[in-house]
Formats: sequence, structure tokens, C-alpha cells
Amino acid sequence: MRKNPFAYYGKKLLVFLVSVFILSVAVFYISRLAPGDPLMSYYGERTEKMSVAEKNAAREKLGLNDPIHIQYIRWVENAAKGDFGISFQYKQDVMEVIGSRIGNTLLLGGIGFVLTFAGALLLGVLCAWFEDKWIDKILCKVGTLLSCIPEFWLSLMLILVFAVTLHWLPSSGAYDVGHQNDTLNRIVHLILPMTVVVLQHLWYYAYMIRNKLLEETRADYVLLGKSKGLSKKEIMFKHCLRNILPSYISIMAISVPHVVGGTYIVETVFSYPGIGALSYESARFHDYNLLMVLCMMTGVLVILCNLIGGIINEKIDPRIKANEVVETSEVSKV
Amino acid sequence: MSEILLDVQHLSHMFRLSKHAAIQAVDDVSFQIKKGEIFGLVGESGSGKSTVARCIMNVFKPTAGKILYHGINVCDPKEFRRNHKMLEATRQIIFQDSASSLNRRMTVADIIAEPMQIHRIKPPRGSYRAEGAFQLYYVGMDDSYLDKYPAELSGGQRQRVAIARALSMEPELLVADEPVASLDVSIQAQIINLFKHCNRDHGHTILFIAHDLSMVEYLCDRVGVMYRGKLVELAPTGELYANPQHPYTRALLSAIPIPDPIAERNRPKTEFDELSFDKDGVFTEMAPGHFVLRKENNR
Amino acid sequence: MEALLKIENLSVGIKSPAGKVQAVRDVSFELHPGEVLAIVGESGCGKSMLCKAIMKLLPKSGKIEGGRILANGIDITNYSEKDMRKLRGKLFSFVFQDPMSALNPTIPIGQQIAEAILVHEPKLPKEQVYNRVISLMELVGIRQPHERYKLYPYNFSGGMRQRSVMAIALASNPKILLADEPTTALDVTIQAQILDLLKEIQVKLGTATILVSHDLGVVARCADRVAIMYAGKIVEIGTAEEIYYDPRHPYTWGLMQSLPALNKGRDELKTIPGMPPSLVNPPAHDAFAYRNEYALEMDYHQQPPMFQITDTHYAATWLLDPRAPKVAPPIGGKANV
Repeated sequence: MRKNPFAYYGKKLLVFLVSVFILSVAVFYISRLAPGDPLMSYYGERTEKMSVAEKNAAREKLGLNDPIHIQYIRWVENAAKGDFGISFQYKQDVMEVIGSRIGNTLLLGGIGFVLTFAGALLLGVLCAWFEDKWIDKILCKVGTLLSCIPEFWLSLMLILVFAVTLHWLPSSGAYDVGHQNDTLNRIVHLILPMTVVVLQHLWYYAYMIRNKLLEETRADYVLLGKSKGLSKKEIMFKHCLRNILPSYISIMAISVPHVVGGTYIVETVFSYPGIGALSYESARFHDYNLLMVLCMMTGVLVILCNLIGGIINEKIDPRIKANEVVETSEVSKV
Repeated sequence: MSEILLDVQHLSHMFRLSKHAAIQAVDDVSFQIKKGEIFGLVGESGSGKSTVARCIMNVFKPTAGKILYHGINVCDPKEFRRNHKMLEATRQIIFQDSASSLNRRMTVADIIAEPMQIHRIKPPRGSYRAEGAFQLYYVGMDDSYLDKYPAELSGGQRQRVAIARALSMEPELLVADEPVASLDVSIQAQIINLFKHCNRDHGHTILFIAHDLSMVEYLCDRVGVMYRGKLVELAPTGELYANPQHPYTRALLSAIPIPDPIAERNRPKTEFDELSFDKDGVFTEMAPGHFVLRKENNR
Repeated sequence: MEALLKIENLSVGIKSPAGKVQAVRDVSFELHPGEVLAIVGESGCGKSMLCKAIMKLLPKSGKIEGGRILANGIDITNYSEKDMRKLRGKLFSFVFQDPMSALNPTIPIGQQIAEAILVHEPKLPKEQVYNRVISLMELVGIRQPHERYKLYPYNFSGGMRQRSVMAIALASNPKILLADEPTTALDVTIQAQILDLLKEIQVKLGTATILVSHDLGVVARCADRVAIMYAGKIVEIGTAEEIYYDPRHPYTWGLMQSLPALNKGRDELKTIPGMPPSLVNPPAHDAFAYRNEYALEMDYHQQPPMFQITDTHYAATWLLDPRAPKVAPPIGGKANV
């Protein structure tokens, strides 16, 4: 009954490619539908002083006068060669602009993601273990409260307390001028934005773990475990946690973009030089080429993580495979 | 009595699991139900008896075969559309799990009146509520239950409500898919009596589906036994119990417990060896009205 | 004979939104080594809660409110969770109604059985554990145990799953097996096989069994003694012969009469009218009075005590009071089948 792995992964790849294509078309068209003048991002203030003829010439130079589908085809052709065009605003190759920033975002989002993942697991198990005891109740209340606070407000409060009032931590940037290679300096700059990223997402997943675990503990097999003489610890970790981990991992895989992408607002507030702040600017100033690549990156990340999440889920949880096998005695080959 | 209400001809249904695998849930099943009769369909889980019921109710579209109801082929989309009002109103189904087949957010009164409202039938007793009260009374509950929700009722009461809902349409054919399987024996007896009453006093034709033969004996006029999608034996109830022919029917009969410890302890159970099951037999008439699936060369 | 398990005046309450449900009310009985005691009653009569209370597996909302549980003469009513853990699996273990949900779907069957062995013998070498698992699987009638060791519950049919649950229950040679409706979720032909297996194990290993069911017919095959439960109380208890051939409580009569096997030739099945009472505020008098066609005036005033009929046969009905009018039981005697 095993499926052909080529067919299996081939199908997933096809889904991936089609999704990416649809995404690129959508982003390309929608970004050009937005009101505003893309020349602003290239020429800045000078645009206002330009005559109509000059503007037309500039548009022609940037290839903005052709119909949208011609522009799209040209973009795809160039992109296939690895040329994503230049950023209007930075007048630099798009990839260079992104390359100089992406490390910062990956650092913030990546470490933030790992901390969220581990922290949520820990808190979720803790709450489930002490179900309805004071520690569970307090954690749940604090969590609800914290997840209700908007990111930007929490960021500002943290800046106010730890940077402005206490002077313990820096309020913005990725490092102090001249300390580019100072790891400690970079870490110190990461603390506040990281705190916001983790606190924002932690509770949602912690709740999920808690509730899924408690749901599992109501199952009959837990009672059977108890009647075997297993301890609460063994039941909780060997049985319940094991059964919820596959779905947790796949949900976390799907939420990679959510957490990593969640850094956008944080980056803006903390003036942290990452992708988030960059995408915000590119959208605002009609920096089409840059926006396109940023959107595609985020989109591909979402699609990829969804696919990986699905695959992980199928691989780990035997119940999903069960649907394919059923009871062999009743199945006949067609 | 002899008019045929439902004629199932060579019905087959296959569930496709994937491109390469399928389950033959129903395999060339034929039987007829006469008007005013209670027909029992018995088999273990996975034998295809519920699939037959669902094909009859147009829930599933059969892979092959015909189902004639009043001479109308209900599997034919054209004929179905032409008669769908009549078909929907005169055929009703009752499920095993009334906890999930009744809407949790509707009161008993609403549940009973809903089919009438859907078919825009004027309640013969003035209002929908009065109609609900009447049907409840008929199934043995008083009108204090009208404003209750399914969750407030016991399993037996919920099954009564499900029956009341089906009866509100005054159906000709009542398909009961394991209506007593999840109930206590003492409650099962009450529901069985109710079905018998429906049939005797109101002439409802009933297709009664069960997984064992114990209750069927009291209720049904004729019984069909299914195994692995095949109808293996079909006979009038008395004949089937007195003279079972197929080994699977014998195993089912011997599985009925008798409440006599000494006799029961010493009674050997007939085991049915599933490997010996011959799918390719021919449905042969052994005695008038008594059909058995058997190899032809055994004759 | 020393009782293996002695329940004295056990009461269990369960908190619910509607109020406290008195699921088990003042129940006493004994279980002797190697016997099968069947507890029969309609759903909601407290028979499942009684079993769970004995193993202290009650839900969080449930509590033992009175009475004692004695195992081998030792009072275990106030045992801590830690002490109970040592008894579970070793002294008593549980077989559930629905074998699908009772098995962990993501762990192979063999491992789940092995786990039950390792709980009480954590230092047992691997091969020995494996051999024990294989012999347990053979004991409960799972064929080709070596191949099936690695299979998951979904690969098994309902009957096989229930056999696996029994293998788990028997892993540490318990003295008592509590089986809560072990055959209700299974096909009829499988039901008989599982019941025979229960009996076989009881003969082979000498395990005492408490078999809970709603069907007096099912129980006849393997019960040595039968207790009838109604509204949280045991209303009649006796040997299987006494209960089936000489029942005394009107409720037992009702249960017997509603069995299809005893209604041959009748046009309508006999039934017990009405529903069991709510156990939130159970009546102070005989809870069965309203459904009892033989009810006496006394039944509406006072709870009947357990009247002794023989050394082993007791029933709680005022009909057995010397002052009561003589009522001929509508059922009983060997002639009924």
C-alpha cells in the first residue's frame, strides 16, 4: 500500500509551484493598483519639479509605461536569470538591499521563534500539570492580559521603563555605532525586541498545549494507563505529550511565518534594521522591485512551512496513515 | 399486503479510498419489502447494512443496481427530481446515535415540527406545537418534554423523539438504522414495542437494521442476513430461526445469549470461520421464500 | 473463605452542574478469589462509578463519601495516589467498554502491553519482557503475536483490540479484573468469544472478575454470582442460579422479562415502565417504587433493608417482609427457557 515517493513529493512540488505563481501574479498586480507615484521613491523630492515629458521619460526608463502583463513577463524573465531589478529608493540591487538586512531579522525572528516554541511547551505542560491550581490560574490570567496588549504599546512601555527610565537597555538599533562586531552589544540590543516578539506569541501556543494536553488526559487510554499503575508523570510525558507533539510541531511549522513576520511591527518601533522595516518602506514608497521580492520571500516561506507542517504531521502520526490502510481484509485492489 | 413497496435490485456500492483501493461495502444485494411489512436487515459492523439503508434514502449513490420505490427508480437523477417531494416526505430514517442526529440547539417541539415546516405541511392539529405534543404522546412521552433540549433527555427518550420526528411526516417507509443498539436492554424492549405499534396500527412499512438477531425475532416479518457486503440468507422470521442454512446465520443465532446460566454455560457456540466464506455463491431459493447464498454445485 | 475484596457501605458522590449526583449509595458486597461477580443494571445506575471508585479512578468531581474498601482485609479507602499506584495492575486492573479509545493510538500494541509489565518490574531484561508480552498475547488469543507486536491499534479489529486491552490488564497477574461492559461495543459473534475468554482466564489464572453489564442475558454465560444494581444501590445479590431461577426483587423480574429470549411467542415484549430516577436527589424511600407494579404502601415510605433469603441470596424489597402479601413471581424456575 506504500505510495510512490516520487509521485507524493512531485504532487507537493506542483502545489508549491502553482501557489508561488499565483502569489507572484497577485502581488505584482495589486502593488501596481495601489494609488501613488512610483517615481517618488526613485527621484524623491525632485519628482514634483519634473515636467510631464521628463516624467514620461523617467517612466519609460524604469519600464513603467508598458501594460502590466508585459511588465510581469519581463520581471519573470529577469527573475529567472536571478536579476530582480534595482530598488528605486536605494538605487541598489534588490538582493543587496535585502542581504544587508535579512541577518538581523533572522536573528530576531529565529531566536524568538525557538524561545516561543520552547517557552510555550514549558508553560503549557506546567499549566496542564497543575490544572486549576493557583499557578495555572495565575499563568492563564497573565497570559490573557499580555496577549491583549498591542505589540507597539508593549514595545513603547518597555522602552520607557528599561531604556528611558532605568537606562539598562538601549532603545533602538541593532548595535551601537562602531560596535558592529561586538556580540555582547548585539545581544543587549536584541533583548527588548525579542521580549516583545516572544511575549506576543507565547501565550497562544501555551494555551494550545495546555488545552490539548488536558483533552488528552480525559481520554480512556489515560484511565487504562492509570489502571496499569503508571504514574501521572509517565502518563503525561510518555502518552499525552507524545500524542499532541505531532500536531504541535506541524502547527509551529505553519506558524513560522507568523512569528517571524510578526517582527515587522517590532522592528519598526525599535528602529531595528531588518526586513520588516524595509517592507513597510517599500510598500509606502512604491518601491515595486523591492516589495515584490519581499512579498515573494514571505509568501514562499508561508507556503513552504505549510507543506512541511503537513508532511511532518503525516510522518509522525500513524493515525493519518491509518486512513490509507483501513482494514486490509476489506480493501480490494481496483 | 402483497404489493411491493421497495424493490432493491442487484445493489452494489463501493467506497473509493484512493486510486488503487476501494471497499466493496455492498455487493449485488437484492430484496423486496412489501407494503405494511417489517423487514429486518442484520449483520455485524462493516457488513454493509447501513450502506444499503443510506442508498435507499438517497444519501449514497449506488455504484450499480436499481432501487425501485413505488416503481420509481430513486437512483435515477431524473426520476428522483421529478418525484423528490413525494420521496422526501414519505421516506424517513432514524439513526442509531440520536445524540448526534438531533440538533443540540433545538427544543424537542422544534425538532418534531421541522420536517413539516420544511415541506410546508399544515399541521393537522392546529399548530406545530400541538402536533409536537401529539407525536410525543404517541411515542410515550408527555408534553412537559416539548421545551427540553436533547441533552436533557436520556438515550431512550432521545430515540423516542427521533421516532416522533420521523412519524410526524406520516411516512410510508420508515428506515431504522440500528435504533436500539446503543440502549439498555430494558429500554430496547420499549422502543421495539413502539415500532411494532407503529406498524400494526398505522401500517408504516419498516426496514429495521440491527447487528444481532435477538430483538429482530419479535419485530420483523422477514429477515435478511448480511455478511461482508453480501446478502447471505433471507427468509421469513420463523423459518430463519427454525431452519438457518448459512453458517454465518447459525453463528449469529448461537450468539444470542439465553438467560439461563446452566444451559448457557454448557451451550457450545457456533464459530464462523471467515476464511470459509464463499463470496461467489449463488443466491438460491431453498424453500418458498427462503434464500441462501451457496455454491451452485452443492445442489 | 477469606474475601479478596470487601466493600462496606460504600457511597460515591459526583459533583455536577445540577447538584451532587449520589452515584453509589451504601453498597456492600464481597468478592471471593477466583469468582466472576456480575453487576447488572441500567445505564446511570452507578455500576461504572462503583468500579472506578474501587480502583480510585474516579473523575476529579467524584469522591468517596463514606464506607470502606478492604483488599485482603486491609483498608485501602484512604490510600494515597502513590500507594494506589502500587496496587493498580498488581492487585486489580480494568477492562474498558470501548477498546479503541482505551488504547493509545500512537503506540504499538506490544509496547503498550510491555509498559504494563515494566510498571511493576522496571528492571526486567528486555528479552524477558518481550517473551512475557508474547505469552500474554497468546493467552488472550491474539494469533501471530510476533508479527502483531509492532502493529498499532488501528490495524486491529474491535475484538482484537479488546483482547489487547485484556492482555494489558493481565500483565502483572492481578488478583481482580474489573471489566466495565467489555463486550457492549463489539459485534455479537465477538462478544461470545470475549466472554468465553474471560471465563477461560478466570479458570486458568484464578483471577476474580467483576463483570459489569446492562444485559442479564450476556452475563448468564460466565457469572458465578450476580448483583443487580438500581439507582446507586444493590437491590439483589445471589449466585447465578438463585438470580436466574429464583429472582425475588421486582426490578430483577422486570429486567428478566424484557429479555427477548423470555418473550417467545408473546406479541409484545414486557417492559419496565418509566425511567430510572435522577440521582441528584434520590428518593428516601424505595427508588424503584414508581416503576414497580408490585409496589406496596411501605415502598413509598421507607427504604427496604436487605432481606436474607439464603446464605448467599439477599434482596432489598418489602415483598420479603413477613407482613407483606405473598406475590407469586412472574418469572423464575428452570421452566422459563
